[in-house]
Amino acid sequence: MTLQKDPERTETKYLHRLADFAGRRVLEVGCGDGRITWQYARGARSVAGIDLDANDLRLATIDRPSDLESTVTFGRADSVHLPFAGQNFDIAVLAWSF
Amino acid sequence: MVDALSEIRRALAPGGCLIDLRPLGGSWPVEVASALEIKEAGRAAELPAGVADDQAADQAMKHAAGRQWFRLERQEFFPFYYYWDSPGEMQEYIDREWEDFLRVEESAWRNIRATWAVADADARVRIRLNMMIARWRKI
Repeated sequence: MTLQKDPERTETKYLHRLADFAGRRVLEVGCGDGRITWQYARGARSVAGIDLDANDLRLATIDRPSDLESTVTFGRADSVHLPFAGQNFDIAVLAWSF
Repeated sequence: MVDALSEIRRALAPGGCLIDLRPLGGSWPVEVASALEIKEAGRAAELPAGVADDQAADQAMKHAAGRQWFRLERQEFFPFYYYWDSPGEMQEYIDREWEDFLRVEESAWRNIRATWAVADADARVRIRLNMMIARWRKI
């Protein structure tokens, strides 16, 4: 089956139109398999992606480019109990997750 | 959802922002698209579970704004397309992945298949989601 999601990359354009990710510390809540993460991660200072789905997190980790291993991390966590200290991020992304 | 927004606010530095990106519910056009033309062939309707999710998300953001956790700075809308090579592949995907959220009536499927059958050789089937993206500033 050939499924393509947003081949026009409109989502990426709008994401960057609304936020400047360069040098920022980003928290992505409900990162899933990282489909959104890869649209902005390059250039960010750090990215922490969280999700409850262990299989999606496994896929995200497999897909992580080697040059982003030190800046992009994924972890299993609930959005109502974030495992981070306060005031730790510049941008939070809540994409397709409500 | 409100609890999650409270947690996100706690995790954000002063002046930080929240990007809220999600599809908006309702009725989404199904189109047959080739390099030469695009034809609307039917519509997919969101089921009550999807509608409820949309309403809950809107309510949660409204609540967060009311509590002065976040201030809406900018909001935009754009189309997001899912493409399949054929109506059969699309139907299979919807039945498997979206059965709780989306319904395409049989009459619409018939029209989608008929439109695709006589379309150009490169024609694919696509569904157009209406997306919303918003930037909320932490207060």
